Amino acid sequence: MKEKWNFILYLVWFSYLLLSAVLMFGQGFLLSRKTLSDVSECVYLNNFGCDGLENSTLSSKCSEDEKIQKILSLPSSPLICSPKRNRVAFILVDALRYDFTEYDENKEKPLFYHNQLPIIQKIVKKWPKRSRIFRFMADPPTTTLQRLKALITGSLPTFIDMSSNFAAIEIQEDNIIDQVVSSGSKAILLGDDTWARLLPGRWARSHSMYSFHTWDLDTVDSEVDSKIYDEIKKGDWDLLIAHYLGVDHAGHRYGPNHPEMARKLTETNKRLEKLIEMLPSDVILYVAGDHGMTETVVHEGIEGDHGGESKAERTAALFAYYSSGFSGDDSDRMSGREIQQTDLAPTISAALGRPPPAPSLGNLLLPLLPNIPVTHALLHLTNNLKQVTQYLIRYGEESQQVPLERLANLINATRNQIEKAADVKNDMELRAYVDDVRELMGNLRGVFREVWVEFDSLSMLRALLLLLLAIFFNWLIIEGIPFERISNVFSSSFVPSVLVAFGVCVGICYSTYYFQVIDDLGHAIVLTTGLVSGALTCMLVIMHWDGITQRWYEGRSLFYERFGRSALFASAIVLVSNSYIIEEGATLSFLTLTILGLMAWNIGTMKALLLWAGFGAVMALTRTYRGCREEQGECWTSGEGMSAGSATRAALVLALGSVSGVVATARRHLGWRGYGIVIAGIFTCAHWAVGWGSLGSPSRSKMLARGAWLVIVTMFVILWKRDGRGTLLPLVVTGLLFYLANALVLGAAYAPTAGLALLSGFLALNIVSMLKSEGMAKFSLATRCSSSMACLWALLASYHFYGTGHHATLGHVRWTAVFHAGDPNYLSIGHIVSVVLMFIYLFGMPLMFGATVPLLGLWGRAGSVGPRTQLAAVFTLCLKFQLCFAIRIFACALSATIHCRHLMVWGVFTPKLLFEFGSCIAALIGSLIGATLTAWHIPCQTRNS
Amino acid sequence: MFSLNNNVELRRVTISSLITCIYLPSIITVISYKGLLYSVGNASSCYVLFLIFVAELMKSFYLNSNNDLQNKRKTSKTTPSDIAKATIFLIAAMFSFFIGIILFGAPVLEYHEETLMLSTVLTLLTLFPLIAHTGVESAVQLLFGVRSFSRDTIIAMLVNNALLTVCGAWLGAVVIPLDWNTPWQKWPIPCYLGAIGGYLISNVLTVTKVTMMSEAAKYPIFKLGINIINRLHISK
Repeated sequence: MKEKWNFILYLVWFSYLLLSAVLMFGQGFLLSRKTLSDVSECVYLNNFGCDGLENSTLSSKCSEDEKIQKILSLPSSPLICSPKRNRVAFILVDALRYDFTEYDENKEKPLFYHNQLPIIQKIVKKWPKRSRIFRFMADPPTTTLQRLKALITGSLPTFIDMSSNFAAIEIQEDNIIDQVVSSGSKAILLGDDTWARLLPGRWARSHSMYSFHTWDLDTVDSEVDSKIYDEIKKGDWDLLIAHYLGVDHAGHRYGPNHPEMARKLTETNKRLEKLIEMLPSDVILYVAGDHGMTETVVHEGIEGDHGGESKAERTAALFAYYSSGFSGDDSDRMSGREIQQTDLAPTISAALGRPPPAPSLGNLLLPLLPNIPVTHALLHLTNNLKQVTQYLIRYGEESQQVPLERLANLINATRNQIEKAADVKNDMELRAYVDDVRELMGNLRGVFREVWVEFDSLSMLRALLLLLLAIFFNWLIIEGIPFERISNVFSSSFVPSVLVAFGVCVGICYSTYYFQVIDDLGHAIVLTTGLVSGALTCMLVIMHWDGITQRWYEGRSLFYERFGRSALFASAIVLVSNSYIIEEGATLSFLTLTILGLMAWNIGTMKALLLWAGFGAVMALTRTYRGCREEQGECWTSGEGMSAGSATRAALVLALGSVSGVVATARRHLGWRGYGIVIAGIFTCAHWAVGWGSLGSPSRSKMLARGAWLVIVTMFVILWKRDGRGTLLPLVVTGLLFYLANALVLGAAYAPTAGLALLSGFLALNIVSMLKSEGMAKFSLATRCSSSMACLWALLASYHFYGTGHHATLGHVRWTAVFHAGDPNYLSIGHIVSVVLMFIYLFGMPLMFGATVPLLGLWGRAGSVGPRTQLAAVFTLCLKFQLCFAIRIFACALSATIHCRHLMVWGVFTPKLLFEFGSCIAALIGSLIGATLTAWHIPCQTRNS
Repeated sequence: MFSLNNNVELRRVTISSLITCIYLPSIITVISYKGLLYSVGNASSCYVLFLIFVAELMKSFYLNSNNDLQNKRKTSKTTPSDIAKATIFLIAAMFSFFIGIILFGAPVLEYHEETLMLSTVLTLLTLFPLIAHTGVESAVQLLFGVRSFSRDTIIAMLVNNALLTVCGAWLGAVVIPLDWNTPWQKWPIPCYLGAIGGYLISNVLTVTKVTMMSEAAKYPIFKLGINIINRLHISK
């Protein structure tokens, strides 16, 4: 039995390959940014003395201009609130592309979206000083949520804006709305409810509406229309935000070149006409699109989408109107100039008399501000520079993403500019100064864009290649090499030589790193070990090529086996489509049920049919617990998406019943180990019962939960005591222990789902153990470890992620699971404890199913074959199970790569990748536990060899 | 080439398949021209089921009556009790389809009417022809694989039709989750049409196979096609 530990080592090796490749992928793909909670503050001009110092003791009188001059000559002075304030109406027309606003009467064959907004060009011609029309360049990702964040913070949002509160959608950074509210002014919101969720509780009045029905063109728009004119008349606000969605939805549904688009644009035209007519004289109107949309390409079927970085998607329009006229001359007001979306936040805050938001990287645009004297303009510009310098310093303190030398250079450059501001006296000099500042800010944006916006495609491709290598060769080995040979292969020197090769790789990498030939040690090690393992497994395949070809030539697998494999591939391939990810729970249960149905059909007895029906009923019962995500529409709007915080009486009864039922049934078959399960079960039930309702005692309940955990962990340790009674019982007990752990973290409301999952696994095991092998009535392990079993088990494990009420969205995660046994942060190892609890809460099902994979081969009549064959069968099953998850995560990574500029990549594909990665880790750990347990408990003496 | 009995049976198989290939598409065409295609899930479209019922009954009369001419001794007259038994069996089968469909993911508490329509059409296309041809006992035996049947017989055709119908309904479910918001994605239209499509394809395959078999002597390339179709069909 030399191969015993070689098997385990091989599984560990494969897990390492998988995880390292996926981590490498994540490093290249998951753009992240650190959010800082800093807030810009400004000091009112009145607080300054004539010597330019704050709270100065000097009491002489001087003019405002002189004072500002003095302040400018002191570069270290704080940000200064602008003395002049306007009100701002910001109308966001979602997906307003720049060429929608162009007007050309003589255009030959105008498309549906041409010449539909004549008002804009009319105004620009009539009052060139009062209005501006610019190209408003968005940064990718051009998805609405990220764009909104960019517009109000002036930053470059990424998918993961890392902050203390990771899951909530609420903005954690300083932004113009917060600036307005903190200065005691009022902000009004109309339209898309994304704003209300980004910034809850900031609005004086908010008329927001659910906005996810992309097929509904009019509801939100007409709601906004019914309110906006009254709001504008009221005039008690300083910032009014209205978000129209119709154009975007028309683009999604029909594409830009469609009569519906023409209708929506004409509506927008009328709206603008009316707005400009009734606009109060002190209000600046900004009308902007947050992104563009792609052209209608009929033959490719792409239309009106956005999310990517093509020119059409990035070019939105910005139209500004102010009845007293903007500053700047002819060259500034040139129509169609390109400006960056990040520039809007500092500009709007300057118009409102506030400093730029702290994270802003934008450049103040004087042509979009009212006519102001040179000193005031300089005040705004230095405010902007000071805020950016502050941000650079703070970001350098908090994160190492940007190399320190570059940051230092940028900081020096901005400080130089601030000092130069004092020398600017007239318009000519101001113009030159503005150009300098613009160039500097452009450089600065470029540096951060590189880190936050651009994917590291090289490491993504490398990771995909490594994954593919690992999956392909391991698949060849496990599907190709005849079952009888597996034991011999692994008792040879194959695995030890792999270890030696690994050691050599790491040594070489480390020494080259030491001599500074390579920069990135981690990547080098992952890459070399991955390639070396590929080569070694390839060698193994070549050595056993005769066996592989012979097995494939002879083997004709049954229909259900082929179907099982194709079902797994199908479940992986559909991850490329967002609709299937959203409905993945239903898809997985459908496929699992079909595989098991075909197996039952193959058995062909009434008992199998009944078991199958029972399995189906269990899966149908879990449906009531399945979560609901925002994209699913109906169930979300009817409020089912909100998870119930505490359990109802019925839920408590169900939870207690399920746990006691499972414990009572399992106890009798487990021998002395049953007592441990019973005690843990009693603790669990008591924990729920004592903690329930208003009469419950939370502290005692938490004590009981800790007791339950203690028993579970102790039982798990005792499991490793050899008693020479075979491997079946320890495996079953592990399954039950994981069940109890799951029930504990899921809480009373969702605990029955863990019981249902256990039951469905049990029924599936019984069906599987009834399968006959082809041609012979004799029990054959080769049938029992066919890949369809592993596929079935993997699909079941993936399904129960959804079956236990989870969904692959970050907003859906409930964090209460960490605190059910008291706050772990008081412990010294509290961090680890909370991570483990959260992991079990989310991925407990793949863990449980992973640990019970060996049962697929051993359940039923396994005693009739020798331990060596049993072990080989368990190894084969475990590797196949791991391969199934590897294939799924590969598909996820691939779809994330394909869709990396897709509209839904941050909402659907990336969360799916993250959660699939979690499931994958859980499945790997679980199957390792299962395999190790089997290897540990298998009788050592070989009987039949 | 074929024995006489086999030849006659083949002819009957061909003709009944041809009839199916004509009447099913015509029903679908007519209702889609009337704009009723998307209401097949409602109880108001019972007439479609009735038409299918009548057509299948006629077909089985055709298949059986020729049988009577061949060997009058064997067949006994259908008694009312047989009919009652068959009806009960069909209703039971319909409800098991109903439950099976719900297990596979149809809504549990709503859309019962639609699910019932789907299960009815599945019963009509799969079990009804089988029972009308062989009677309840043999149908049950065939279902559970107790009785075997040989290739290119009426029973083989009926069993393969039934299997492909179920496959078609299964495949129809694939389009339901997609977010295209088309009217034909509503439950149970894709499965309903998938079942009918599967049945139709099975019949087309039968006709093609018989045509190729008759010409296989002249053009050997057809043997390849026959082999492929034989792969698709199951036979015991």
